Amino acid sequence: MRGRVLVLGSIVASLLLVGAYLAAGGSSYEPEQVQNPCQPRPWSNPQSLSEIANQFSVSALDGAACQLGVSRETLARALATPEARERFTKKYGIDDEKLAKAIRAGLVRAVDDAEEAGALSPLIAVPLRETVQQIPLDQAIELVNDAESVLGNVNSFLGPAGDILEEFLP
Amino acid sequence: MGVVLADSSIVVLALPDIYRELDTSISGVTWVLVSFNLVMALAAVPAALLARRTGPGRAAAVGLAIFAGAGLACGLADELTTLIAARCVQALGGALAVTAALELLPATVGSERRAATVWAAAGATGAALGPAVGGLLTELVSWQSIFLIQVPIALAAAVPILSVAKHEMATGVIEPELRRTGRPHLWANLALAMISAAIAAALFLLVLLLIEGWRLSPIVAALVVTVMPLAAVAGGKLADLVPEARPRAAAGAILVSGGLAGLAFLPKATIVLTLPPQILVGVGLSLVLSALTETALGGRAPQAIHGGWTISARHAGVVIGLLALTPIFTAEIDQQRHDAIDAGTAVILDSPINPLLKLDLAEKVSDRLEEERGKVPTIGPAFEPLPEDSAERSEVEQLQSELQDQLDRGATHAFSTSFILAALLGLIALFPIGLSREVEL
Repeated sequence: MRGRVLVLGSIVASLLLVGAYLAAGGSSYEPEQVQNPCQPRPWSNPQSLSEIANQFSVSALDGAACQLGVSRETLARALATPEARERFTKKYGIDDEKLAKAIRAGLVRAVDDAEEAGALSPLIAVPLRETVQQIPLDQAIELVNDAESVLGNVNSFLGPAGDILEEFLP
Repeated sequence: MGVVLADSSIVVLALPDIYRELDTSISGVTWVLVSFNLVMALAAVPAALLARRTGPGRAAAVGLAIFAGAGLACGLADELTTLIAARCVQALGGALAVTAALELLPATVGSERRAATVWAAAGATGAALGPAVGGLLTELVSWQSIFLIQVPIALAAAVPILSVAKHEMATGVIEPELRRTGRPHLWANLALAMISAAIAAALFLLVLLLIEGWRLSPIVAALVVTVMPLAAVAGGKLADLVPEARPRAAAGAILVSGGLAGLAFLPKATIVLTLPPQILVGVGLSLVLSALTETALGGRAPQAIHGGWTISARHAGVVIGLLALTPIFTAEIDQQRHDAIDAGTAVILDSPINPLLKLDLAEKVSDRLEEERGKVPTIGPAFEPLPEDSAERSEVEQLQSELQDQLDRGATHAFSTSFILAALLGLIALFPIGLSREVEL
């Protein structure tokens, strides 16, 4: 009799514990899944150059990561330092040419997204789009990582036309 | 005897330190435990036979001397292979000492049945108390100290046995009654193997989760897992109320499995939530280990041989548990680490902080990952020094907290599958427990 009570008590105690933990979210306590970079990411209404630069970088990373078949987050860490970039290209078997092509495609997507969100006037977007498709890899990475300083100095980035175009930035 | 039986659980708390200091992998450091348990499993029955041939007094004294000598070698080892080799020798000495001790116990405690109970209690207490002792020694002294402290204890235990050994040598009396050994209790030993696999996983995985996953110090982790032995003491009182071994064993196996399932579904990375599952495991291990050991030894002679079989079953179970679960949670840690870092990087990228600061953080996080490749990284240093601007500082602190939350989620989730599998092992033990009805104490 006591033996039966002991066994039943053990079953009840075990079920109560597991049930309580599952009800408290125990089955979904894991890292949040990152978004597929190929899916469009909505732009919030940017108010300042800093906000535009932030979203521009994120869009560019999304576009490049989509091209390379990696997550935006993996690519962001890879572009942080030359050493990280070297490790990344070695691990995924990507040469500089392929990386440059992907980042340029990402920058084009960022310009498109910015234009669509009304953050960049077509007068800026068109030459910027043309420019980013031809810039060298290091400059492309710099633009992704530090869009604010580049967008804040459109004149130096786009040449003499930039002086005129800069006033169209918010 | 308690020191030998507690060895595996004592060493568990030192594994994270050994892992870092000897610069090995989780799979590599697991062999510090696996090697000892494997040799114990293989050597227990031959050691028991040897103890009966040479005399239990002499066998126990020699076994303890080997155990002490190899413990010294473990404490002085500066590379993993030396440590593992010394652990193998230590297990040989341990097997000889423990099985011989069971042969000596009836004369000390009065009867074979009482000896079996004391022996089972020593095993359960050792397994439960070991982690706390190991954690304290690792934190306060060093991982080497957990091996070195075994040396004087084993030698001190050998002193009173020497008089028995001298008597055996002088009289030539080895064993008053060389009885034929009966067959080992298959179902009880099989259940012991499975439940030992589950319990080993509970201790090993929980300690790794606390120290490597949640970054607690060994001493704090030791305090946390002390809940298990405390619960085991309560379980011992509960066991006294139920004389039948089979329901005690079944209830114990269910509680161990329930506790492990609770650890698999932790809803948050906080110490408090590990306590209820540990209580179930502690009470369960006390009920099931004593019941199964008593069943395996009950009515069987000689005790040393059947004790050898239970030692063999328990240590084989530990080996099976560790070898089966280590690759699973090692792969899971790697996957969850990547997911957590990706989730944390997403938090940084989507935050409103200055893009240059973002870049700086991404760079430092990347460096941390490279430095702690294959491990769950400590993310704090990536955020230092904090910005001087108070608004920016607050944003960065918020980011650090969110990133740490993702790492905690990853580290905790990495152990879920292994805890579930360990719980299943505990439940599977119910089958042999159910079949062991022919022997009731």
